Amino acid sequence: MRYAVYNSPINPLINLRIPGMLTPLFSRFFISVLFVLLFVVSGNAQNWAGAEGLLAGKIVAASGPKTMVLEVLNHSSLSAAVTDDIRRNLLTQLAVLGVRFVAPEQAAANVRVSLSEDMQSYVWVAEIRQGSNAPSVVMVSLPRSAVLTVEPAASAMVLRGVSLWSQPERILDVTVIDDNPARMLVLDANGVTSYRMQDNRWLLEQSVPVAHSRPWPRDLRGRLVLRRDKDHLFDAYLPGVYCRGLTGPPPAMTCFESSDPWPIGTDLFSLNASFTSSRNFFSGVLSPGVGNQTTAPPFYSAAAVPREHSTWWLLAAVDEKVHLLDGVTDQVAEKLGWGSDIASLRSGCGSGWQVLATGAGAGRSDAVQAFEVAGREPIAVSTPFEVSGAVTALWTESGANGVVAVVHNSETGGYEAFRLTLTCGR
Amino acid sequence: MRPSALLLLAAVSLCLAVAAPARTRPHYGGNLRLAIGEAPISVDPADVSPAGKSMPPSLSRLIFDTLVTLDARGQAQPALSPSWQVDPGNQRWLFSIRRGVAFHDGTGVSSDAVAASLRAANPNWKVFATGEAVIVECDAPTPDLPAVLALARYGIAKRTGGKVVGSGPFAINRWDAGKKLVLTARDDYWGGRAFVDSIEIEMGKSFREQTIALDLAKADIVQIAPDQTRHAVLEGRRVLSSAPTEWMALVFSRDVPSAQDGKLREALGLSIDRDAMNNVLLQGGGEPAGTFLPNWMTGYAFLFPTAVDLQRARQARNAVQQAPVWTLACDGSDPLARVITERIALNARDAGLTLQTTTSAVADIRLVRMPLPSLDAWVALGEFAGSLGLPQPKFDVDRLQQSANASTEYAAESALLQSQRVIPLLHLRTAVALSANVMGWQEDPDGSWHLQNVWLETGKP
Repeated sequence: MRYAVYNSPINPLINLRIPGMLTPLFSRFFISVLFVLLFVVSGNAQNWAGAEGLLAGKIVAASGPKTMVLEVLNHSSLSAAVTDDIRRNLLTQLAVLGVRFVAPEQAAANVRVSLSEDMQSYVWVAEIRQGSNAPSVVMVSLPRSAVLTVEPAASAMVLRGVSLWSQPERILDVTVIDDNPARMLVLDANGVTSYRMQDNRWLLEQSVPVAHSRPWPRDLRGRLVLRRDKDHLFDAYLPGVYCRGLTGPPPAMTCFESSDPWPIGTDLFSLNASFTSSRNFFSGVLSPGVGNQTTAPPFYSAAAVPREHSTWWLLAAVDEKVHLLDGVTDQVAEKLGWGSDIASLRSGCGSGWQVLATGAGAGRSDAVQAFEVAGREPIAVSTPFEVSGAVTALWTESGANGVVAVVHNSETGGYEAFRLTLTCGR
Repeated sequence: MRPSALLLLAAVSLCLAVAAPARTRPHYGGNLRLAIGEAPISVDPADVSPAGKSMPPSLSRLIFDTLVTLDARGQAQPALSPSWQVDPGNQRWLFSIRRGVAFHDGTGVSSDAVAASLRAANPNWKVFATGEAVIVECDAPTPDLPAVLALARYGIAKRTGGKVVGSGPFAINRWDAGKKLVLTARDDYWGGRAFVDSIEIEMGKSFREQTIALDLAKADIVQIAPDQTRHAVLEGRRVLSSAPTEWMALVFSRDVPSAQDGKLREALGLSIDRDAMNNVLLQGGGEPAGTFLPNWMTGYAFLFPTAVDLQRARQARNAVQQAPVWTLACDGSDPLARVITERIALNARDAGLTLQTTTSAVADIRLVRMPLPSLDAWVALGEFAGSLGLPQPKFDVDRLQQSANASTEYAAESALLQSQRVIPLLHLRTAVALSANVMGWQEDPDGSWHLQNVWLETGKP
């Protein structure tokens, strides 16, 4: 057998050693800079040079290096500006190959290039007309790349998103480890993959599979919790499975069939909840509980609402209502317009804590918005942060300074993880 | 913008909005009810019956897993086979078999069972079981074999004593051939349990019966005729429309016997006013087609003209002294096909050709409607060619380079069209209407459904 067609090989291990930590302040700054760089890098335009050269070569091979008129039409999703760039570059490439551009009446060949696309690729088609002959057709295909657009709008508080990672497979959770160099863990249905930041890129370190005997439920969910004990780097929770990630070297992960509750709180506000292993929700059994309340309706997600002497919890329940548990009562809010995913965030703005919630609409895009729980009523404090697809996960980071949102991109079909933070506005 | 265009725009916009995923997480439970026009006489995926009598691929895939599936972009993804390899030459393939998967009768899906199923589906292949894998040897280079194996007819089935069972997300609970199919979700499905508990499918229902069933809340999902889509939207129904996929074409019963006959076929093709058919008869329910594959799939279909050209049609007609009277047949039970054939006969008359419409099984020309067989362009072309008795597209080693994909598909499709056995007419959109409680509807660009991902708002956890 020659080569594997589907499964790509796992890249060789690059660095198994976990480097020593920098001072917290410096490392936080360092990570922030890296995030910004990563974000900027992700927006770079696709490089067309190879395709332009290839098409120019094919046109010249079909027509010969002669006098020509070139027309470029755009039938694709490319912008007018990109189309202009491609046209200019094609003219240059053809000129390099000996083509001279003249007035239509003097041209030996009339070339019409149509920029089209199919399901996976851009398809550039050149129709070459010479005299009264039937036109000859040459074409090239090149893969389409996704373009991320994340532009938060101005508001009293501004919800900002930084792209962390994207991949075709469903991302369940992502955690960034504040080391030097920075590291990132990505949890998906197959396991946990660690990456190391180098030259503004995440380089693969290692993938460790999640062993499980029962099939995953549809609408799979999972959570990573950073531990950073002596040899204990992280925990991964999936339906019916608990995995303990060891620091190494080499890094390793041991998984067990487990019905242990998942931690749904933060370092500051601890709360555990039992996850229904064959479904996509928490059963409602809480430990240690919210005050006296140790049971709640089945719910999809929860957010802590710190108060002066206690912590309330908001639950996005399976019955599509939002329940506020204050330790004694269960107050139900029905028409908040929230989706199934909520998470709490410590911002330092306003009351210091906000709840992020997905929208309940049914458009092709989704939005996450920040709310403050004044009294018992959530009030929007940011404009919606629009994402180009459905939010499939929203988890508060261990330190609660950020929220990881995973978006199923409705254009590309892939999954993108963002780190959401709030900055205080005007 | 014309009012009709505005209406269509509104309809399409509504479709897009409705097609979008719901923002709440899926609920489990409930019974999903469908009414469809097809009346399959067998559940066996390898049983290739005439159109309307075979199991729609979207339903077959609920019962039978394939080794490979195609995603919405036509790329092969692992299913029962988590990985595969190919020898140089693209003729000998090895597919590993996913561990721990069971048929609905509880027996394991072994490599022996997979090999037996594939042999039954394609006797021309040599299929061997080896350990936890199967080897498929084709008689010619087949670089697209994974995409071929994603076709529903290669669903893995266990056949014993006249019974056929699969390993898909739903097991058969009740089967009345051509009338009713009841499926039950499997809790232990390797790809995750489906959201609904069961699916009931009423078969052989006319579009009118389906609409009534939806209105009486006896069905949650029904099909809408392409020419009725806009009307259904204007009635306020929740309608979802696919990309233009279903191929409608004229197919000649025999090869071109002479150059003169070729001229007449050319005249017929040039005389047909596809735009009018689409705008008037179909109410914008499709797109004029000059190719087998739609432009959204290939990116080059615009190169093939579809506009009516009566002047050239008459020139071609007049190049031949005497033109025979051709018979043009269509499915008499398909009202849209009947209207289209009559319009074609009128168009042909303008070019000086005489067509006699008929519903007879024997005719010179037949109007055919074929769903897009695959989201893989090469496989789809091969399926079209096979169904119509045309030569299979030839393997081209250039196809292995991505930059040459479109070129080789263009060349293959051009060759098929140059046979003059077919005159493409339209690519039709397929449409469904959903009740308000159906959520999570997913449809591939080719109109395939993913009912295992559908959930009901009334479902209980």
